[in-house]
Order: sequence, then C-alpha cells, then structure tokens
Amino acid sequence: MTAHGSAAEDSTFVRTYTLTRGRTRPRHLLGLDTVLDAGPGRPGPGQAEECAEILALCREHRRSVTELAGRLGRPVTVVKILISDLLDADALVVPVTAYAASDAHARPSAQLLAALSAGLKRKWPDAIAYPQAG
Amino acid sequence: MPSPTPRPGDPAVVLRPSSRPRAGAPTVLKVVIAGGFGAGKTTAVGAVSEITPLSTEEYLTEASADVDSLAGVEAKQTTTVAFDFGRLNLPDAPVPLELFLFGTPGQDRFVDLWYDLCRGAVGAVVLVDTRRLESSFTPVGFFEDIGLPFVVAVNQFDGAHRYHPEEVRTALELPASVPVITCDARDPNHVAGVLLTLVGHALKSASASPARPASTTTFQDA
Repeated sequence: MTAHGSAAEDSTFVRTYTLTRGRTRPRHLLGLDTVLDAGPGRPGPGQAEECAEILALCREHRRSVTELAGRLGRPVTVVKILISDLLDADALVVPVTAYAASDAHARPSAQLLAALSAGLKRKWPDAIAYPQAG
Repeated sequence: MPSPTPRPGDPAVVLRPSSRPRAGAPTVLKVVIAGGFGAGKTTAVGAVSEITPLSTEEYLTEASADVDSLAGVEAKQTTTVAFDFGRLNLPDAPVPLELFLFGTPGQDRFVDLWYDLCRGAVGAVVLVDTRRLESSFTPVGFFEDIGLPFVVAVNQFDGAHRYHPEEVRTALELPASVPVITCDARDPNHVAGVLLTLVGHALKSASASPARPASTTTFQDA
C-alpha cells in the first residue's frame, strides 16, 4: 500500500465514524444475523441519512444486519450503531418469528428442518440430496 | 478458543425479541457457508440466492491482535473481513420459510464471529478447494467442537485435480457420519443438493441426539 493509498483509507475511516458521531460500539448486542423489521416509532431528529435508508429497506422486507451493511456499503459495526439508535426509538424491532432457535445451543426443530427440506425440493426439483454416509 | 461471552465494554443492552411479529412473516432459518479465500463461497451463495450476494465488511481489532505481528501496528489497527450474504424465500414449504445464507472466511481469527453466525443455525457447509485443502481444517474443527451439523462440499474447479470425496474425507480426518460430496458451486441444482444433504444430515443428527444441548450441563458441581 502506498502512503497515498493508506492516507485515503484513513480518511474514509474517519468519515465513516462521523456517521456514528464518534461512537465505536453499538448499544445493543446485535449479531451479524440479527433480523430487523420496521417498528412503530420514528427516529429521533438529527439522525444520519443512512438511518432513513435502513428504515426504508426494513419497511420493504425484513433484513439481517449483514444485509443492511452490504446494501449501505458500510462496515458492520457502524451499521450496528445506527441500528441501535433506531431500536432505541422503536423505529426498528427484532421480529419474534425470526430464528425459531435463538438459544445458543438450540437448533431448529425436526419439523422445521423437514419443512425446509420439502421447500428446497419444491424449488429445485432436480437437486439431488446425496445419500447419507454412516 | 475464545469464549462466546461478551467482551468487557461490549454493549450495555441485551436485545430481546419484540413481541410484534409481522403478520404471516416466514420463519427465518440460516445456513453458514465457510471456506477459504477463493473456495467459491460467493458463487455458491449467488447460485441459490434471490438477491445478488452482498459483501459486507466488518472491522476486526481485538481478534487479530495476537495474530498480527506488532510491526506496523499503528497502520493496522483494523483488519477487515468480508462476509457474503444471500437469502431465498420458500413460500411453498409446509411452513413459510426464508433461508439466510452467510458466507464466511475460513481463518481461525474469525472464530468469534462464527459463534454469532452459528447460533441457532441449521448447520454449515464447508466449501473445499482441493488446491487449498489446509484452509478447511479450522472450520471443520470449529463446527465439530460446537456440535453444529455440517457437510463438506468439494467445489470442482476447472483444471484442478479431481479428488474422490473419500480421499478428501481421509485428508480432513472426517468421521463416516459427515457427508462429503462434490459440487459445482455455479450450478443452483448442485448447491440446492448440498443444502438438502445438509438438512438431511441435520435431521439425522437431531434425532440421534435430541438431548444434546442438555448433555453439556450434566456435569455435577463438585
């Protein structure tokens, strides 16, 4: 990396954190896979433009943290900080239906797995599940 | 092995799901696709995803601290890690479902992030490029350790030597119960086949050890 290139990278980094007003950690414990849905609240005043973008995206469809970060083209941590603000304002909520198993060790139920298998087979009738070894 | 508990200075608020589900919203299930750089994760996610796979960056600071040398540390306070994300709807499933696919790099410095992604997941696919087999050891070991059902999919690259799945099984020291299959990550039918194999394997593991989560707490206090 040239000196010029790394300076450019640093300035992007700084710009990124003006979005979060200098904060580097989100207030909510959000996973990369946490799903967000639009809520009844309105975001407070003075929010970054990106907050409006996040809300618009979540009104269309439930989105994961990773998807929101990908669409905004911003680092995950930055997006998590903005999402935390929106959660505080109730403008975003975490839908209860997402992830049937939210417990650290829990796995989806056999019924859900069977439904997933059936759904995949309907969508790709030509897909072959390989015979199970062992 | 890093602990999955939050680090000091982590968020003050632990998120509780809201009780306001959107009416008729599908249940979300997720699958983790792990593989080394260039193993075909983005291609595999893109083959079945309804959205163009999104690449996301996360800054890593602490996790890489003991991996990177101290030289030039000022210029390298952050490391970026790229994730792939894709999703697909399965409205015709017996229960409306939405499947999230998370593609994640295979190096052990990302183990902290894998805990996040694996929580409640259906299982994982370890995508193998036989030219860089060594990059598969870390994810295989990780999924074995946390007891997440996984399958190994050998991506058949043009021009690469075609190994028999059993050769890959031997090289990765996988037990007979772990499915090892070959696939073309560009072909939706192949990738869907890999997912079906994983779901079948997860179902089998679920019925083989229904009380697995409880078994970790059976140790008596001394």
